[in-house]
Amino acid sequence: MKRIYSVLAVGFAGLLLLATTTRSPKNQYGLVIGTPAIKSINALTFGPDGILFIGDGKSATVFAIDTKDASAVEKPGQVDVKNIDQKIAALLGTEVKNITIQDIAVNPKSKNVYCAVQHSDGTPVLLKVEGDKLTPVSLKEVPFSTLALTNAPAEDAKDGRGESLRIASISDMGFADGKLLVSGLSNQEFGSTFRSIPFPFTSAQDQASLEIYHAAHGRYETMAPIKTFTTTEIKGKKYLLASYTCTPLVLFPLDELKAGSHVKGRTVAEMGSGNQPLDMVILKKGSDSFLMMANSSRPVFKVKYKNIEAYQGSLTTPVEENFATAGVDFVSLPLTNVIQLDKLDDSRMVLLQRRSNGNLDLWTSSERYL
Amino acid sequence: MAILIFGHPVSGIYKNFQSGQIRLYATYSLIFFVCGLFVACHQAEDTGIKIQWADKRATGISIASPLLKTVPADSLNQLLSVRLAGKETAIAGTISLTGDVAIFEPLIPFTRGLRYDVWLRNQRLSEMTIPTLSSGDNPKLLAIYPSQDSLPDNLLKIYLHFSRPMREGQSLNYVSLIKNKADTLPGVFLDLQPELWNADRTILTLWLDPGRIKRDLLPNKRLGAPLQAGSQYQLVVSSAWPDQQGATLAKPTTKSFLAVQRDSLSPAPAQWALAPPASGSVQPLEVAFGEALDYSLLAETLHVFNETGKPVSGSWQIGDNEKLSLFKPDAAWQKGQYRLRIEGRLEDLAGNNLNRPFDRDITRKELQKKSRSFVELAFSVY
Repeated sequence: MKRIYSVLAVGFAGLLLLATTTRSPKNQYGLVIGTPAIKSINALTFGPDGILFIGDGKSATVFAIDTKDASAVEKPGQVDVKNIDQKIAALLGTEVKNITIQDIAVNPKSKNVYCAVQHSDGTPVLLKVEGDKLTPVSLKEVPFSTLALTNAPAEDAKDGRGESLRIASISDMGFADGKLLVSGLSNQEFGSTFRSIPFPFTSAQDQASLEIYHAAHGRYETMAPIKTFTTTEIKGKKYLLASYTCTPLVLFPLDELKAGSHVKGRTVAEMGSGNQPLDMVILKKGSDSFLMMANSSRPVFKVKYKNIEAYQGSLTTPVEENFATAGVDFVSLPLTNVIQLDKLDDSRMVLLQRRSNGNLDLWTSSERYL
Repeated sequence: MAILIFGHPVSGIYKNFQSGQIRLYATYSLIFFVCGLFVACHQAEDTGIKIQWADKRATGISIASPLLKTVPADSLNQLLSVRLAGKETAIAGTISLTGDVAIFEPLIPFTRGLRYDVWLRNQRLSEMTIPTLSSGDNPKLLAIYPSQDSLPDNLLKIYLHFSRPMREGQSLNYVSLIKNKADTLPGVFLDLQPELWNADRTILTLWLDPGRIKRDLLPNKRLGAPLQAGSQYQLVVSSAWPDQQGATLAKPTTKSFLAVQRDSLSPAPAQWALAPPASGSVQPLEVAFGEALDYSLLAETLHVFNETGKPVSGSWQIGDNEKLSLFKPDAAWQKGQYRLRIEGRLEDLAGNNLNRPFDRDITRKELQKKSRSFVELAFSVY
C-alpha cells in the first residue's frame, strides 16, 4: 500500500512539475507574452516559424515577434494591391500624404506580405497583406522578445548629463544561420555598424567594422554605411552580399564577421554612382540563380549568380567614367521606380512600385524577369 | 351655363377643393417643420460624439447612442464602424463599450481637418470633423548647429533643433543651401532614408555629402566640394516644413555663414585651455578648445574624474559657439587633482576626431597609429 502511495506521490509531483513547465511563459525562442514598446519600424525581416523581426531605430532596439502565421504555403497566389497607399490611408483614416511605407517582408512560411507603415506623427503600424486584403497586425499581448542595440562602449559612462544626442537608424536587416543581421548608421560617426545577433536573443551581439574598396571613389573606404544586404553561399562558404550608396556590390565572408573584427570586403561589381541601392533578393530559375536589386535612381538590376561566383577578382582601381559600371556584368530590367522588393518564392518576388501613371502598386513578378 | 356634376356646380367644388388643399398643406408643413425642428434640436444635443485628445492629437472618440444598446456587445466590432466621409473602408482601431457609450481608438490619430462618419449596421449615426490647429500654433526652429558664422569648407554635419516633433522623410524638400545669395546648390546634403532624427523627432542631423568632401573621391572630383572657402552661404529652412500635426514652421529661417579654409587637423586637447575653479565653490570648470567642436559629440564625450578615479557628477553646458564647455559640479569642488577625460570620438566641425582626420590617405603608413579610446588632461583645484 505504501508503495502505491509513494508511486502516486511521485506521479503527482511529476504532474505538478509538468503543469508548472507548461505554464512557463517562455516558448522555444524565449518569447514572453506582452506588449512590445515599439517606437518606430525601420526594417522588417522574417526568422524561423513565422517569427518577425522588427528593427526600431528610434529606440535602437530589435524585436522578435511571433506572428503565429506559420502554416506553410507551398504555392502562394499572386499578391496584387493596386493603389496600396490609398487603401492604407483609408484603412488608417487619413490621407496618402500622411503615411510612408517603410518596409515590406514576405513571411517565407505563409507567404503573406507584411508591411510597415509610418504615420506622419511617427506612429508605426504593421499591416498584413493577403491577396488584395490589408489587415492590421496587433502588437498588443503578443509573444515577443527584445534586444537593445549597444552603442559605442564609451557611451555607457554616463554622468548625469541627461539624454544622449546620439541618433541611430537601422538601414536593413536579414536573418541567416540562426542570426539576425542588422546594418545601421549613427549621426555621430559616419560609418556602418554591422551587427550579428544570435537568435533566440541573449546578451550577445557581435559588432564588426567593414572595409570596402569603393571603385567609384578610388580609395579604400572604411566608413561607408551599408544600404541593403542579403546573405548567400558561394562554393559552400557563406557570405554577406552588401550594397552601398553609389553602388558597389561587396562580398564579406560571414564567418569573419565577429566582435571587434575589421573585415575587408571584396568588391565584385560597381553598379554606377549617383544611385542608392534599396533592396536585394536572390531568385532561382532551374539551376540558375539571380540577384535582383532595386535602386533609387536606376531600374531593377539582375545579376547572374554564376558570374558573381566566377568573379574571383576584386575591384581595386577607380572607375574613371562618371556613372559607369565595372566588374560583374548585370542586366537592367524594364522595372523602374521599384521602392521595395522581397522574395515570394524561388522564382517570384513581390514589388512595391511607383507606376508611370503615378499609382503605387504592390504586385507579384513572374518568371519572365529571370 | 353651369356644368353640373351630381347636382353641384363644378366651380364650387373646385373652390372647396382648393381651399381645403391649402389648409392641408399648411398643416402638413407645420407638422413637418415642428418635426424637423425636433430632429434638429435632438441632433444638436446628441450627435453623441466626443473627441478624445492627447498631446493635441485626436486619439479617439466616444460615441454615446441609445441605439448601441440594441447591439450585442460581442458583435459591436462588426457592426459599429468609423469611416472617412465618403469612404467605405472601416478605419482600423479598437472599440470598447461601457453602457451605451462606445470608445473607438484608431491605430493612428484622426487627421485634423478631415471629416469622419460613424456607422452602425448600414445606418449613419453621425459625423464629425476634427478641428484644424488654431492658426498661430506653429512649431519653431530653435537652433542650428554649428552656431558660428564662419565654417570650414569641409563642414560635415548640421544639426537642426525644433520646438516640436516634425514630419520626417522629407527634409531635403525644406532645407536648401544658397551660394552668394544667388544659386541654390543641388546635391549638397546626403539623402539618407531613414533620416537621422532623435527619438522624439525634434533634432535632425544633416550630413553634407561625405563623398564630395573627401578629396580625390569621384563625387569630389566631378562635382567639387559642397562649399568653397571665401564664399558666402545661406542655409535656408523653409516655413513649409510641417510638424507631425501638419502645422508648418512659423517662419523661414536663414543662417548666413562664410566658408573658411579647410580644417584637416584633429582636435588637439593638449592645446586646450582649462580654467580650474576654486575649491569650496560650485563654479564651473571652463574648457576652451580654441576652435568650434561638434555640438552633439561635445554633449557626451567629456567627463571629469577625481583623484581616486571616480567620476565627478555635474552638468555640462556648451558655450561660445561650441568653442568652450563649462562643467558645473553638483557638489562643491574639493582641493585636489582632477582629470578631464575626452573620448577619442570627439570631432570638430569637419569630422576630424582625436584619432584621425576625416579625410585621410590610408595608403600612407605613418597615419595608421593606434586609436585611443580617450585622452586625459590633468588639472588641480586649490
